[in-house]
Amino acid sequence: MKKMVSLVSILLLCSSGWAAEFVVEQKGKQFSPNTIKAKVGDTVRFKNSDPFAHNAYSDDAAIAFDIGMQAPGDDKVVKLKAKGKFSVGCNIHPAMALTIIVE
Amino acid sequence: MFKKSVYSFVTAMVVAGVGSSVFAAAEASHFTRPANVPFPADNAMAKERIELGKLLFFDVRLSKSEQISCATCHDPKKGWSDGLPKAVGHEGRMGPRNTPTILNGAYQQTQFWDGRAATLEEQALGPIQADVEMNMPLDELIVKLNGIPGYVKLFAKAYPGEGVTKESLAKAIASFERTVVSSNAPFDRFIKGDKKAISENAKKGFELFKGKGGCTNCHDGFNFTDGSFHNIGLDDGDVGRYKVKSKEIFYGATKTPTLRDVTKSSPYFHNGSAETLEEASTVCSSGGKNPQARNVSTALKKADLTREEIGYLADFMKTLESPAMKLDIPTKFPK
Repeated sequence: MKKMVSLVSILLLCSSGWAAEFVVEQKGKQFSPNTIKAKVGDTVRFKNSDPFAHNAYSDDAAIAFDIGMQAPGDDKVVKLKAKGKFSVGCNIHPAMALTIIVE
Repeated sequence: MFKKSVYSFVTAMVVAGVGSSVFAAAEASHFTRPANVPFPADNAMAKERIELGKLLFFDVRLSKSEQISCATCHDPKKGWSDGLPKAVGHEGRMGPRNTPTILNGAYQQTQFWDGRAATLEEQALGPIQADVEMNMPLDELIVKLNGIPGYVKLFAKAYPGEGVTKESLAKAIASFERTVVSSNAPFDRFIKGDKKAISENAKKGFELFKGKGGCTNCHDGFNFTDGSFHNIGLDDGDVGRYKVKSKEIFYGATKTPTLRDVTKSSPYFHNGSAETLEEASTVCSSGGKNPQARNVSTALKKADLTREEIGYLADFMKTLESPAMKLDIPTKFPK
């Protein structure tokens, strides 16, 4: 029992340094949430909940990415590698907008 | 964006059994044109700018041949299009695509079938220079306009201190284009509560449009387009937006056109290959013209609509026709 408590404590201590994962849903032709605040090393999971394809991309040089065609139900993960305020869009639906603030 | 969120939320609430009047209000808002027309910070709407833009829009001297104006292809009597499968311009040359309407262009996030222009200002200068359209080099046009005292005076009033330049030319034409908006179509009256404004068949069509047909996957919101890019399987060799951004996602994809005044702007699709609303609806509700073509959009639902249902869809789309816009088409131009 004593050993188990120690192990849990270590995990909790370590957890403060773990990267977090944010889930951004693409639903109703919107990113939800439409703003996230994250830290360098965190990841964003884009989950397409619409019945048609989506995409997520950023042309901001520091984190430039493009997850390509994302079929209904698909989810794809992007790692945030730099600090800054970044704009994310959907190539298919230009009205969709997400802001990622990486600290 | 906020409105769309509210609409989605309220739709979910209605499914959960919450008030239908709340839903009706949200739906009315979702399908009603915002009263304020958006414009860029450096080109606020002003009467002088709109009037100047209108003169330029209808003036054939903006073309190399002095026979073609913007209105030649964007004819207000033909739904701000030309009624042709593909545009015909300088010396009868045929362009690569169908002429899109400029109606409600002010509300679009991108311009042209392939979205290659971000603003109306940027769009306005494209056809003037295109060799298959007005074929007029911009530098030559600016010299020409600066040689017409009447225009120099009007530019000075509309854009004090800016002179007659490519930028002020684009801004003036864009200002006029921002006045070309839809209003008071039977559907607009219906969605605001006048249940007799459209026929029972059109109402069935609206329900199919939002539901079984899957039309709002792309033709969504007051302008009946969400500005999205899709390949509808026409498989005609036109690579669409892929030419602008060479990503597979764009192969053969073109911008979803507005359905406002769609009755006035046949034939349909970027290659003008569908002559009737029924024909166009059949393609889009069948998973595309050729569902097996490269990169056909998943937004095209294979809805298996009956001929009767296609008819209802067409009846509905006919209710999107606005009364003709009050417009004094210029007959005299600055000298």
